[in-house]
Amino acid sequence: MNKKFWLIASLLLIASIALSACGTTPEAATPEATKAPEVTQVSEATVAPTLAPGAPLPRNETLYFNGQQWGPVVCWNPYSSSCNNALGIAQQDNARVVMFETPYLYNMLDGQVYPLLADGDYAWNDAHTEITFKIKAAAKWSDGTPVTAEDVAYTWATHVKYSTPTGSANMDYIDAIEAVDPQTVVIKAKLDEDGKAINPLIVASYVSSNYVIQKAWTQTLEERTGGDATELLADTAEDVVYSGPYYKFFADEAKVVFIRDDNYWGKDASMWGKLPVPKYLAHAMFKDNAAGFTALQAGEVDVSQQFNANIQDLWLKDNLPISTYLPDAPYGIGASLPTAFYNLQSPGLDQVAVRKAIAIAVDYDTIIANAMTNQSATFQQVPRSLMNPTPGEQALYDHDAVNDLQWAGKDIEGANKLLDDAGITDSDGDGWREYNGEKLSYVATCPNGWSDWQAAIEVVAAAGKEIGIEITTNYPEWAVYQTVVTKSDAPLPEGYDIFMMWSDGAGPTQPWSRIRHLLSSEFVGMASNWNGNWGQYSNPDVDELIKEIPGETDEARLKEIYTELVKIYLTDIPSFTLMYRPQSFHAVNESVWTNFPHEDDGTEPPVPPLDLTDGWSIAGLYNLTLVAE
Amino acid sequence: MKGYWKYFLNKLLWFLVTLVCAFILNFILPRLMPGDPVAAIVARLAQGMSNATGVQAIYQQYADLFGTNRPIYEQFFLYMSNVVRGNFGYSFSQYPRPVSEVLGASIWWTIALQFPAIIVGWLIGNTLGALAAYVKGGFDKVLLPVSIFVSSLPPFGMAVILMAVFAVNLRWFPTSGGYGFDLLPSATWSFVWSVIVHYQLPFWSIVLIAIGGQAIGMRSMSIYELNADYVKYSRFLGIKDRKIVGYVFRNAMLPQITGLALSIGTMVGGALVAEIIFSYPGLGYTLLNGVMGQDYPLISASTLIVTIMVLIANFVIEILYGFIDPRIKAAQAD
Repeated sequence: MNKKFWLIASLLLIASIALSACGTTPEAATPEATKAPEVTQVSEATVAPTLAPGAPLPRNETLYFNGQQWGPVVCWNPYSSSCNNALGIAQQDNARVVMFETPYLYNMLDGQVYPLLADGDYAWNDAHTEITFKIKAAAKWSDGTPVTAEDVAYTWATHVKYSTPTGSANMDYIDAIEAVDPQTVVIKAKLDEDGKAINPLIVASYVSSNYVIQKAWTQTLEERTGGDATELLADTAEDVVYSGPYYKFFADEAKVVFIRDDNYWGKDASMWGKLPVPKYLAHAMFKDNAAGFTALQAGEVDVSQQFNANIQDLWLKDNLPISTYLPDAPYGIGASLPTAFYNLQSPGLDQVAVRKAIAIAVDYDTIIANAMTNQSATFQQVPRSLMNPTPGEQALYDHDAVNDLQWAGKDIEGANKLLDDAGITDSDGDGWREYNGEKLSYVATCPNGWSDWQAAIEVVAAAGKEIGIEITTNYPEWAVYQTVVTKSDAPLPEGYDIFMMWSDGAGPTQPWSRIRHLLSSEFVGMASNWNGNWGQYSNPDVDELIKEIPGETDEARLKEIYTELVKIYLTDIPSFTLMYRPQSFHAVNESVWTNFPHEDDGTEPPVPPLDLTDGWSIAGLYNLTLVAE
Repeated sequence: MKGYWKYFLNKLLWFLVTLVCAFILNFILPRLMPGDPVAAIVARLAQGMSNATGVQAIYQQYADLFGTNRPIYEQFFLYMSNVVRGNFGYSFSQYPRPVSEVLGASIWWTIALQFPAIIVGWLIGNTLGALAAYVKGGFDKVLLPVSIFVSSLPPFGMAVILMAVFAVNLRWFPTSGGYGFDLLPSATWSFVWSVIVHYQLPFWSIVLIAIGGQAIGMRSMSIYELNADYVKYSRFLGIKDRKIVGYVFRNAMLPQITGLALSIGTMVGGALVAEIIFSYPGLGYTLLNGVMGQDYPLISASTLIVTIMVLIANFVIEILYGFIDPRIKAAQAD
């Protein structure tokens, strides 16, 4: 009897194991079933001539990225900014010029712009109200037709007509973009009542931040979408015509791959004189930093644009051929200033003494060592101001003039004295100070899961305890957090006394734009404030100075203004910088490719560490070489 | 048969009532979350846009498009009429992708991972549990503690252990992805093989944990049944052991089948942990992002699928119970 039972049991076991083996079969069939259209499309369009079905992307022709694309690509429409097409579309200060191109390329290392579609430098007219530039004769669209001034003009007209994000962002500053002749473009600034350009900085930044899109294709798109703005922005634009060196090869839920257009116009001697080196650019969708980090270690990623904690261990301990732009801490070039904002309407936080006491008590070295694993310059290296650590911005203000306003942090004694002197003391003996009879008790917050920010906020809270100010922490989900923080038409609710947000990075309108976003009162009262000054600081003197900068061309005066603004910022402390953060994290694995941008790599102009896709950093794609076998 | 019809209609009525309630809850619950999904979309579009009117215009445009500025009852009827026509609307978090496309692209990965894992875990677990109960002795003494240990491992722990041992250290399996990092989907053996290899760790990380739980449950049920009076009576009657074992397992299986039905019903919710740790494609992570981004249409559609599958699975089980175990039908039909 027992034997029979064993027989049945064994059969059951065998059946279950067999099923487990079968388990793979439906899986294998899955991609065919679901991804069929894409596969067909790819094989029809491009795979057949270049890559046999089932053959891997040749490793020595493919550059792999991580940290940019966090979900499937939704569309290829350069008019839309919600395509989640991180590798292909990003119209920003350092615009991503892999598939679509801007007239100029911004270089965050020297603050200059370099012509791409444009021929030579742009020129302002004498009244400083119009910019003129020419389009390169060699510049061509992927369909072989020339890129013309008319394309630039029509792109702008479309942005305005359909109120695209680009149109809405610039139409207060740009009056018109016109084609004088097929090669010449004129950008006319909007003028104020004195006949001066309202904001020449924003007008000038247009040429390096926004793509030129083909007029003929735009007209096709308009026809297809019947002139409806929502439809136009929601179009997936699979048929888009582009001018850049790469285009869509493959995209699904797990991966996006671009392939080089070997007819790319940029191989003309008037631009690069050759094609970019990698034939394919590929990005797998990793679901978190840990997965991306493992892939970088395994050599499945060449260029990593994500925060990799203790990055130095990869070469110091694991002996991997991985490196960063700088060989030692802070490993990259800081460009933005993650900032703790005070809700200036919270009881007590309207007092400079309280704000300053908290700010000087915070242990910044711990934040930089723990939250950023030293991937940030310290405040001893780069004293706090409104500028990022790039040499260009640091030179813009007088360091000595604000020296006595600086603080190093962890100054518990100084903070206590400051509060005592202001009469903000612990009068009821409960261990916490009171102001106007009310206990100083705050909530410090940032979005949940943003681990480096959370670590920083914990350090801020710890500082409060040392100086008799109760600071507790709370981490709402980002969906909730952002809704609350960006609603600047009402006082912030409870729980948002000290909160973290970002500040601008490096770009052609910086540091003006960053300062404006940190301090300008024009954002107070906005129902949907995606700009800044979320703590709702208001100072008419600051507003005046901010307004003066864009039209000011006298460098001495500019330095004066910037110094004055830093002085006010360090005195009033409506917010304070917690660390410096690079524009893009940038670590490279040199097991396949080498000659990536590094400090002092001899490139002229220097190639910035921005993924080899953004602004002038795309020049790095032309310098890559294969590691010798 | 009349009794069975009564039982069936009764179940069908409850099925429909539950479906209606679940449908309403599916709609309402996501919308009770604090926060504003349109603000999240505007966040993506309006970065650096400094003119208040521009941002406001974009906000208005999307609020109109998604209907979030309408009264909730209007939104509900709109949603209902769309769903009836099979239209789940646009996904907020992946706009302008329709929800059906978002789900369609991920759901097969999830089903292909979850379904075999659930079935295999269930079969192996129950077989081992039954064996432990029947064989007793050394087998049981080893199996029970091992099962308890394995089933109490948190899923992420199991996934991380498998990854550390078999992917990072031994390098037998890849660390992430649904197929090779350098491959594109195609109907070729190299691609299929790559999928099979990438499938193993996520699959076993689910199966191993399922086995333990199933084995413990089945072992207890079987021990209980083996000591039941009818078993002893059958033995006295001289009925063959094989026949008795059949009775025993048929009875011991009942709760296990309910568990299986529920697992199959909820499987489209995704294997979140395995998906995240192995960066495996699937619905779980998409859904998590949907919840984080307050993607109402995506959440509602996914939970509706889960609800309907659970309801159908339960309905089918209840109907089958009527056949398997006449006691239930009799009790319910009273």
